Amino acid sequence: MPDCPPRRWRVRQQMAWRFSRNARLFLLAAAALLSVNCDRAGFAQANGASSGTGSGQKFVVVLDAAHGGDDGGGQVGAANGGTAVAERTVTLALSVRLRSLLTARGITVVTTREGNVSIAPDTRAQIANRGTANSGGGAACFSLHVSEAGSGVHIFVSSLAPSGTARFLPWKTAQSAYVARSLKLAGTVNSALEHTSIAGGGNSSGEAGSSSGPIPATLGRATLPGVDSMTCPAVAIEMAPIRGADRKAITDVTDPDYQTQLVEALAAAILEWKTDLETESPKAGGSQP
Amino acid sequence: MIPRYQKIVVLVLLVVSIGMAAVLVRLRERAHDRLLKGEDLAPTTAPAVAPAVQATLIVANDLDGTMITENQSLPLPADGEARARALVEKLLELYAEPGSTHPVPGVPRAVLQVFLLPQPQDKADLSPRGQLAVVNLAGDFADGHPSGILTEALTIESICSTLRANLPQVAEVRFLVDGQSRATLAGHADLTRTYLTEEDLPISAATGSNSTP
Repeated sequence: MPDCPPRRWRVRQQMAWRFSRNARLFLLAAAALLSVNCDRAGFAQANGASSGTGSGQKFVVVLDAAHGGDDGGGQVGAANGGTAVAERTVTLALSVRLRSLLTARGITVVTTREGNVSIAPDTRAQIANRGTANSGGGAACFSLHVSEAGSGVHIFVSSLAPSGTARFLPWKTAQSAYVARSLKLAGTVNSALEHTSIAGGGNSSGEAGSSSGPIPATLGRATLPGVDSMTCPAVAIEMAPIRGADRKAITDVTDPDYQTQLVEALAAAILEWKTDLETESPKAGGSQP
Repeated sequence: MIPRYQKIVVLVLLVVSIGMAAVLVRLRERAHDRLLKGEDLAPTTAPAVAPAVQATLIVANDLDGTMITENQSLPLPADGEARARALVEKLLELYAEPGSTHPVPGVPRAVLQVFLLPQPQDKADLSPRGQLAVVNLAGDFADGHPSGILTEALTIESICSTLRANLPQVAEVRFLVDGQSRATLAGHADLTRTYLTEEDLPISAATGSNSTP
């Protein structure tokens, strides 16, 4: 029969085991906290987000360049007989240009992709939702698309019926709590497009000519995977060639002036949106939704 | 040296073979003629021509994102499913025509089937049920559809609206491609959801150029 350890020694051993278990729990909790913080920091860095104001009340813009990687989207840029390019290339170019304009104005920007990579719609929504989670100063999310069909810029808001806010939102219809604000954001973008001037613009109802005018815009509602799961005021912007009444393209989507005008109009709309939020609730900093 | 009798036997066999081949060919021709004659004499019924009825097609317009109502007199079958398929086929034929307001490349059989099913309903709910239309599109049609939010949404919406306008009992529409569920039509419009024909039409609700929603 083996010798039993003395009682005092056994109590010490139990105390040591308890201490080590508490220490282990503490270390696990600390590690979890550290990993979350590292994950957040890595995420922001990977997506080129600029630093916030430091007050915790920052305004965040999410730019989602549609398609990418294996998913090239449609072929665009051939409406006037030019060389067709993949939609993913033009959406990325628009995203990069808009990000530069906004960052220069001190706005925090989160992008879903910075290169030619394939991202699932749910992942895009996750990036947007994470990016805007702590945006006490308000947010705006833009999904950028390009198409050969239609004329001018198409502004789409989710077709989900508006619903009240809740602590937990169903993933597939999370945007429903933000639809009212998304419609308002779409109106702001539409107003900004009215102040543009481009060849062929402003003749949606009339003659096909080379007269200048604002970029024609069409507002609509659509069901879009990704956007429907975003928990921020979100609109999908689809850039299409500007066409005359005879449906012939006057200005194609690859036109540098057209792209510049659109990006500047979007930047102006975002600044106006930010100002409106600050005016509406200067103390709350434009709480959402 | 080949003996003479062997030469004669080979020659006779050759002549008999040629003769048998000729007889076989002739017999085959006779059988073919008999078959054709029999087909000609078979009783046939004239194809039933459906009476032309007034149909409403909701046609999309890409230029301003609106819908145009077109009334046409079409010979439509009496059966609901066949009628629904004929209507959607006709709508997609319009889109494939040159100068279409909503250009979509045509394929020989763009709509494989349309099934009309009773809407799912709770047992306790005794209110009259509408129908769920399941539109099975051809893979070639979906693959060739232009990519874009506006054009895809307009195609979906015009199909739903056309079904609703001609078959008022259709309350919901679902889409399949080659009998399978597909995420999007051509990269944008969600095909995994059920579309309600009664809800406000998203695109036609859109206002014209540069006006607030």
